[in-house]
Amino acid sequence: MTKKGTGLKIAISAVLCLFILVLAIRQGSVYISLKDLFGIIGGHITGKGTPDGVEPMMDSIFWTIRMPRAVMAFLVGGALSMSGACMQALLQNPLASSYTLGVSSGASLGAALVLILEISIPVLSGFMLPFAGFVFGLATVVIALMLTSAIDRSVSNTTVVLIGMVLSLFVNGMMNLLSTLNADHSKQLILWMMGSFSARGWKHCAILFPVCVIGFVCLMLMSRKMDIMSFGDLQAQAMGVDAKKTKIVAILVCSLLTGVSVAFTGVIGFIDLAAPHVVRKIFGPSHKLVIPMSFIYGGAFMALCDLISRTLLSPREIPVGAVTALIGAPFFAYVFFASRRKRA
Amino acid sequence: MKIVVKGMSAGYGSSEILKDIDLEIGSGEKVFIGGSNGSGKTTLLKVMSGLISHKGTVTVDGKEISKMKRKEAAKLISLMPQTSEVYFPYTVRETVMLGTYASSGSILGGAPASAVEYAVKCMEDCGVEDLQDRHLDELSGGQLQRVLLARTFAQKSPFLFLDEPGNNLDIKYRAELCDKLNVWAAGETSGIPNTLVAIFHDLEQARRCCTRAVMLKDGKVIFDGCIADGLKPEMLIKVYDFDVTSYSGV
Repeated sequence: MTKKGTGLKIAISAVLCLFILVLAIRQGSVYISLKDLFGIIGGHITGKGTPDGVEPMMDSIFWTIRMPRAVMAFLVGGALSMSGACMQALLQNPLASSYTLGVSSGASLGAALVLILEISIPVLSGFMLPFAGFVFGLATVVIALMLTSAIDRSVSNTTVVLIGMVLSLFVNGMMNLLSTLNADHSKQLILWMMGSFSARGWKHCAILFPVCVIGFVCLMLMSRKMDIMSFGDLQAQAMGVDAKKTKIVAILVCSLLTGVSVAFTGVIGFIDLAAPHVVRKIFGPSHKLVIPMSFIYGGAFMALCDLISRTLLSPREIPVGAVTALIGAPFFAYVFFASRRKRA
Repeated sequence: MKIVVKGMSAGYGSSEILKDIDLEIGSGEKVFIGGSNGSGKTTLLKVMSGLISHKGTVTVDGKEISKMKRKEAAKLISLMPQTSEVYFPYTVRETVMLGTYASSGSILGGAPASAVEYAVKCMEDCGVEDLQDRHLDELSGGQLQRVLLARTFAQKSPFLFLDEPGNNLDIKYRAELCDKLNVWAAGETSGIPNTLVAIFHDLEQARRCCTRAVMLKDGKVIFDGCIADGLKPEMLIKVYDFDVTSYSGV
């Protein structure tokens, strides 16, 4: 791919992503013109308040409900996709993702326990949910790695993925048990297991945004190592990459990205698996492009799925996890098999 | 610069593959590692590359290999493993450029011009410069083998360890591989004489590429000397437990 061709693809992707984000904010039971939308955004950023000609209620709907929700969906989609891209490279397995490795389920269980048991640590105050998500997500993947090394001495990546999937199912079972035993929280937990961006506000975005920035910078700094790790641990070691250290740092970063995202929105599968694959088909496998473009594509796809989840059967809301799978699966299959057929 | 192995034993878990090995490989040597399947050839290359823990000592230029950082070790030794899996279809050019990681040390993937130039030279040496925009999953087994050899050259280390580099290559490329390895060992690409340590199952390739043979049997060195003596039928019968005189080509 030429530099010019890559630049054009990036520009088109950025415009498409911006278009989807604006669409996700504007569409719904209440509609707003572009001029008023940018007026509201400008008013809040400059501190001038609601612009002339815009009703305060409209300002409230778009600034406090629609925008943070769309931004949150974008950040979560981006964070999960970056994490998925990294896991696939490190484990040299196209089926690896935070979801299949049990990070998402673990994080979800942590957040659920905080909600049910009403655990609160004063020092953490508003960060309790993301903290629990990160710790439980990380704990799940650490348990998966420990079990793998106990079963398979060579710690093969296939065994890691298989154990991760088994753990993920086990933790999901625990979540089901928790929801059955806690009738008061049952509905909340079931929705949690299917994912939702309902009632997510700027305060959640304010926590997730720096996490995304930290995760993005760390993964970009590791992008060349990830390229080398894509060829397997032995070759990576021979080429000068400390495979074990790289995996530990990457798993920490991915657990942070996934744990915090899932703690706010519940489990949303598929996006972390599919978005990096679509990006690789368009931009190639080099991670200095795969990481940023996975963030953009994953974010845009999640924002689109959330838009569909809240508007398709309005006023009812479809769980966003169901939408990501229903749209993503056939789209992923099309992209994957179309390029295979072209190559054949 | 030399590699010195003293009283080295190594293996996987509780099974010991190599037992009490003593070996010294000097700068500019071309060493063939021979032995039957499971005799410990690959393990020996991995230990000398610092990829497997061991008992005893393995030093490169006086420094214990297991105490070196991976990047530091990769600057001294490049290893082309026996099996090469491809999970993501990088282009040939991207793949060869990854070989410059240890020497160029750039974080975000942009290697200095000198590294790019050297990688291009390595592609030319391995006859893959015309394939540089092709993806790895579009290549034949032999082409892939040559790309991975170019990537190993691009690492620009004075010690080159090759584990069955002739795999998947047809007879023409096998012969060419020997010529390229001889050119590389003479330092015509990098400008400094290099050391070659290689495992071959094709003994004719070993004869053409190497001047010294180290023969292993059951994890022990049973012969260390010139290639002509190492490949004599009586030695091969001892190494392989097989009447090699009944097999054509020996």
